[in-house]
Amino acid sequence: MKRWRYLLGKIGWAFFTILFVLILNFFLFRVLPGDPARAGVHDPRLKKEAIEAIRVRFGLDKPVINCFESLNPIKIGSCDVNPLDTQFFIYVKNLLQGEMGISYHSNRPVVDILAERLWNTILLIGAGQILAILIGVVFGMFAAWKARTSIDYGALIISLVAWSLPTFWLGIILLFWGSNNGLPIGGMQTPGMSSQPFLVRAGDIARHMFLPTLTYTIVYMGEYMLIMRSSLLDVLSEDYILTAKAKGLSMFQVLKDHALKNAMLPLVTVIAINLGFTMAGAVQIETVFSWPGLGLAIYEAVNRRDFPVLQGAFLLIAIAVILSNLIADLMYSYLDPRVHTD
Amino acid sequence: MRKILALVLTLAFALSACGQAGGGGGTLRIGWAGSPDTLNPGAAVLAEAYTIFELVYDSMYELNLDGSFSLAVAESVDRSADGLVYTYKIHKGIKFHDGKPMTAKDIKFTFDFYQAHEDFPYLNSYTAYIESTEAPDDYTVVVTLSEAIPNIESQLVYMYILPEHIWAEHAEGAAATEFENFEMIGTGPFQVVEYKQNEFIHLKANKDHFLQPPKVGEVIFQTFESQDVLVQAIKSGQVDMITEMPATAVETLKSDPNIKVVTGAPFAPGVSDIIFNQIDPENCPTEDGGLCTGHPALRDRNVRLALAQATDKQKLIDVVLLGYGAPGLTLIPDGLGMWFNNKIEDYAFDVAEANRILDEGGYMDADGDGIRDMPDGSQSLTFRMHWPSDSIDAPRMAEMLSEMWLKVGVKSELQAIDPDALTAECCPAFDFDVILWGWGSDPDPSLLLGVHTTAEIPTGYNETGYSNPEFDDLYDQQATELDLQKRIALVHQMQQIAFDDVVYIIPYYEQAIQAYRVDRFSGWLIDFPKVELSDTSSLVVVEAVE
Repeated sequence: MKRWRYLLGKIGWAFFTILFVLILNFFLFRVLPGDPARAGVHDPRLKKEAIEAIRVRFGLDKPVINCFESLNPIKIGSCDVNPLDTQFFIYVKNLLQGEMGISYHSNRPVVDILAERLWNTILLIGAGQILAILIGVVFGMFAAWKARTSIDYGALIISLVAWSLPTFWLGIILLFWGSNNGLPIGGMQTPGMSSQPFLVRAGDIARHMFLPTLTYTIVYMGEYMLIMRSSLLDVLSEDYILTAKAKGLSMFQVLKDHALKNAMLPLVTVIAINLGFTMAGAVQIETVFSWPGLGLAIYEAVNRRDFPVLQGAFLLIAIAVILSNLIADLMYSYLDPRVHTD
Repeated sequence: MRKILALVLTLAFALSACGQAGGGGGTLRIGWAGSPDTLNPGAAVLAEAYTIFELVYDSMYELNLDGSFSLAVAESVDRSADGLVYTYKIHKGIKFHDGKPMTAKDIKFTFDFYQAHEDFPYLNSYTAYIESTEAPDDYTVVVTLSEAIPNIESQLVYMYILPEHIWAEHAEGAAATEFENFEMIGTGPFQVVEYKQNEFIHLKANKDHFLQPPKVGEVIFQTFESQDVLVQAIKSGQVDMITEMPATAVETLKSDPNIKVVTGAPFAPGVSDIIFNQIDPENCPTEDGGLCTGHPALRDRNVRLALAQATDKQKLIDVVLLGYGAPGLTLIPDGLGMWFNNKIEDYAFDVAEANRILDEGGYMDADGDGIRDMPDGSQSLTFRMHWPSDSIDAPRMAEMLSEMWLKVGVKSELQAIDPDALTAECCPAFDFDVILWGWGSDPDPSLLLGVHTTAEIPTGYNETGYSNPEFDDLYDQQATELDLQKRIALVHQMQQIAFDDVVYIIPYYEQAIQAYRVDRFSGWLIDFPKVELSDTSSLVVVEAVE
């Protein structure tokens, strides 16, 4: 019963957070200065009539929000307007219908743009995360096992350096190195491959993925390794490990059967939260390697004041972060039954 | 299992490495740091989109690299005596990429389509003088104008001919701009094979093109997010040509025997300017949001002249552009060819003379703080200097200008501003003193000259507030002068006036810097006054190197 209440509570909070993000998202971009219909275009050919027509097409001519006289004394928004005819209401209505609007920049439905980009990001981040976790966990275990030896210090220094490297800079360095070694440095496929068999295309994408994935892996494995190492060291100082050792088990068996499961606990949380954030955190890597993912879409949309794309992308990221937090919470309660009795 | 995976990957690597053979004539790979916003000509704003339109579509005229126009889909043109009716005879046998014939009806449809859509950011503006378009038979188009204008070529050159059988169902309302047009059926020398937005656009040669079928088999434009990566891509041979690069990379690339760097006036004319808010309070467009808070000293031509003489343009070019530019004169850049008045003699860089002019004007340093003051002592010569925050060159230029002007006792308060916010404070609000900005333009000088006219003050395109009835008269004259030589003379005269009045300081005309690999393709058109390797004229003649 307690467990269910805990679960429902968490899910309820997640739902309200998403709702809040949804509303905040809308106003966040509208307080930015400037006019999205011009999007920084400074050209005498762009006539007033054209700008006006563009505003009408995107509904920018409508008031942002009805003033709700009784609710807000400072009267933000215009009052003599039908609340159903405001930008905010149309935004909410569209969202309920699964519509995110039309990109100001490319005139394409935002849903189409994000759908294309999302999978590219998931591919890149997925590969990078898996590698970073595998390498981080193995190195972390090794370092904890060989604690306070030169192996430990070596691993510690490497992971500290890797963790603190600026992503952008590391990407550029790897890009230079890769381009001298025949690796593709931009995009996710060689143009003109669409008629090739699947395996050839997969291989081509794998080649394009190499450098960005490597960058991602290096940046994140350091963090995982450090957490793994310290958490395992904690566990290894517990009495039951001493007991296990006294039973005559080999170090490998102690690690595998007794220490690892408990030591993974903090790591699981970090991974789950990271997964949510890195959806957006790949902005730098995707920009350096021209990887057509969500991060790059955000970067471009910010430059072009493309509110519908930004709204959509932010919503997607918010949902990813909230969901991964929820998953972390739920997993925690499963891994550690003490959590939901508090 | 792991071994199998490794094997599969190796195999895939090997296959992908050799599976890149193009069609006959080879595949030319072009790297650029942008990408089209949309393939729909009605909705497009970015220059990259127009580069692709030029390759995939044809229009009535073609703009040559020397700045002249020649007929494209029309064999001949006949102009009525009053200059209002143009009758075009269209080439027979032109086919769209999908095999359907292109006729005069498609042209009429296209012109009507552009004209009907006020929401098309650019193409609609070129129909401003068109009264009607008729297609009396399949190979005749009659364009009737509302006014006899001298520059019909530059109006029609960007009106890309669309197939009626595809666009007719997208012609009305929002559908016209929301049509994605990924297949881009046109009649041009190249046709679209595959398009991935913000990744690449893959074109193949239209070997049946009526004018000049390309020699290459395929052309691919691939997007890289930064210019530095472009340099690396051409060095490592991942692309065969790059359309832009940072000036800092020129020396490195020049030392590579396989790479040729080309510099010159850009094909698409653009210009950087230093804008002075000189609006007369009487002309303040208060109804359109005019605030007119500019510094009164900038209304004095002598102050602007002194600032011009205190500006070391060559130093700006050497530092900001690493030498790849020419000193600027007026808003009409050298890239406009015959329209550019090269007889104007620039003000000498002379700090002493600048100080003398200011002394004579009574702008003395009354309070001894090192900054000059207004003759009436009301305020010091301290100017707000703003620039768009997305500009790469402006911050460096602002720093240098502020040092140069400080030498004549003028102080600048530097600030980068979001481009949209800058538009808001610029014009028609005139809520600034100095802005570092620039224009993109047409091959015809009318646009940039129009920026100086009184009529454009309320619209916000006149960004200085400059108003000179003599200039306005000349502007109207050149807009209807049908004799080319007379019009050139008028346009040159207008540049002299704008220069004499120091409406702007034009720091420089920036050069285009492009590069191509000599070991891959040859035949690039590089001996022209303007540089644009990705222009149709080059891409139809280049050949793979054997």
